[in-house]
Amino acid sequence: MSIAAKPNSALLIVGHGSTENPDSSTPYFEHADEIRQRGLFAEVHCCFWKEEPSMREAFYLIDADDVYVVPDFISEGYFTQDVIPRELQLTGATTVVRGKSFHYCLPVGVHRSMTDLILKRAREVAPDIAPSETTLIITGHGTGLNQNSTKAIRDQVDLIAASNAGYAAVLDAYMEEQPFIAEWDQLSQTPNVVVVPFFISDGLHSFQDIPVMLGIESEVGAAASQREVFRHNPHHLRGKMLYYSSAIGTERLLADVILDQVADFDNLHLSL
Amino acid sequence: MSSASQLKKLLQNGIHRIGQLELQTNVHGFQYVICHFLDCENTVQPDFGGLIVHHGPADARDLSTYSEDGTYRFTKGQTNLKQGWVMTLANENDLLLALDQFYPACVGLFLAQQGGILEIESLREKLNRQTGMYRFARSISDAGAQALIQQVCGPAHQCAKKILWQIDDATPLDDSEASRFNGIPSSLSEMEAIPLLCREACNHFVAECRKAAKAEFDAKAPQA
Repeated sequence: MSIAAKPNSALLIVGHGSTENPDSSTPYFEHADEIRQRGLFAEVHCCFWKEEPSMREAFYLIDADDVYVVPDFISEGYFTQDVIPRELQLTGATTVVRGKSFHYCLPVGVHRSMTDLILKRAREVAPDIAPSETTLIITGHGTGLNQNSTKAIRDQVDLIAASNAGYAAVLDAYMEEQPFIAEWDQLSQTPNVVVVPFFISDGLHSFQDIPVMLGIESEVGAAASQREVFRHNPHHLRGKMLYYSSAIGTERLLADVILDQVADFDNLHLSL
Repeated sequence: MSSASQLKKLLQNGIHRIGQLELQTNVHGFQYVICHFLDCENTVQPDFGGLIVHHGPADARDLSTYSEDGTYRFTKGQTNLKQGWVMTLANENDLLLALDQFYPACVGLFLAQQGGILEIESLREKLNRQTGMYRFARSISDAGAQALIQQVCGPAHQCAKKILWQIDDATPLDDSEASRFNGIPSSLSEMEAIPLLCREACNHFVAECRKAAKAEFDAKAPQA
C-alpha cells in the first residue's frame, strides 16, 4: 500500500528495547532510517520501554504537532494495549497531549502484509528445498498471561496454510507454552523443517534462547552482533534438516508494514 | 522555532559541547563536525588528523553503542564514549539527528527545560509503573534508593547526567557528588555546554533498584 507524504507529521516508532542486549533495538532504528530516507514524514523517531529514549522522553524529540505512533511489536497484548497508551498518555485512536495530536496505530505484527514477509524469509533461508517436503514453523514467546500474544502467530499460520505456498504443514510453536518449540522434531512429519522466529529483533529470545531449545546450540551464546561466525543452515539435527532464520522483524521491508499501519489508520479513522 | 534551529542558535551563542562530544562549526568546509572532545584538536589538522571520518549521521548509533573496550553502553550518559572518529554533518537537522543517537532526546530535554515545560518524574512514579520482573523494584526503601544513587549515579560511576528527579514529591535526594553533578562532564561552564538531563530514573537504575529491593527483602526474611 502506498502512503501519501505527511510533511507536517512525525512518525514515532515504539519498541521494547533492552539494557542488556545491544541488538534488541537495532531493527527499530533500521526501520526508522529506511522510512526517514523516503522523506515521507517531517520527523521519524524511535522510543522504547527499556532503552533510551523512553516513551516519556519521546515527547521532547518531536517538533510536529501531528504524530503517528506505530508499535513495532509483533502482537497486540499487554504492551500495546496497556503500557504504550499509559506511557504516552493515549486514551483513544487520536489523543491530544499537550497540544500535539497522537494517532495510535495497530502494531506491525498484526498487519496482513506480514504473511508475505514470513514466506519471503522462509524461502530465503531454505531456497533449494521443496515446500511439499517441508514443515514451516512460526515461533514466538507465548505466555499464559495474555491470549493475544499468540493470536498474531496463529493468524499467520492459518493464512499461510490456506495460501498456495505449498508447505506440507504450517505450525505455530512457542517458548513458554504448548506446543513447545523445543519439540519441533516431534511436531513435524517432514524431512525438512523451517523455523521463522516471529520476533522483532535478534535479541535474547530468537538468537540466544531458541537456538538452545532447537538443539543448534548447547548453551546460550553471545549476542548476535558479537558472534564471530553466524549460524549456517541447514542443521542436521534429530534426523531432520533444520533451517533457522533470523527474526522476522529484522527484515528491512518491515518498514513498509509500519507505513501500511499508518495508511490503515488514516483509512479507518481519518477518512470520514 | 524548530529544535534544530534552536540548536543552531545555541551553537552561534557559544555552546560547543554536549556530554563527551565537541561540536564544531565550519571545519574543512563542513558546516558541522562532531567528535570526542579529547580528539577535537585533531579535527583542524589535514585529513582530520587521522581520525576515522563518517559523513552524515547514519553511523552515530554504531559509534555510541560500544565503548573502546567493546562494552555495551547500556545508558548513553556513560562517560566511556569511544575516541578516534569524527563525523561531518551538512546541516543542523543532521546534527540534531546525530546528537539524538549519541544522547537520546538530550537536546530536546534541555530546550524544554529552558522553556519551562520539562516535566520531571519522581523515582516512585517510575518504579510504580514497572511490570513483570521489575515490579519488585517498587518495594525498595527510601534509604535503599538514596544509597543506591550514590552507588550507581554520577560521574564516579560513569554517568554524566544531571539528576532532576526526587525520591517522591516530598523527598529530595541526599546531598552527594551524584545529586550535585551538573550534567557537564568537563570543566566547561554552563555557557559552553548543553547539560545531559535525567528527567526520570533510567532502566539501569530500575534494574539496580530491583536487586537492592530483593536484598532488603532477603535481609528481613526470618532465618531458617
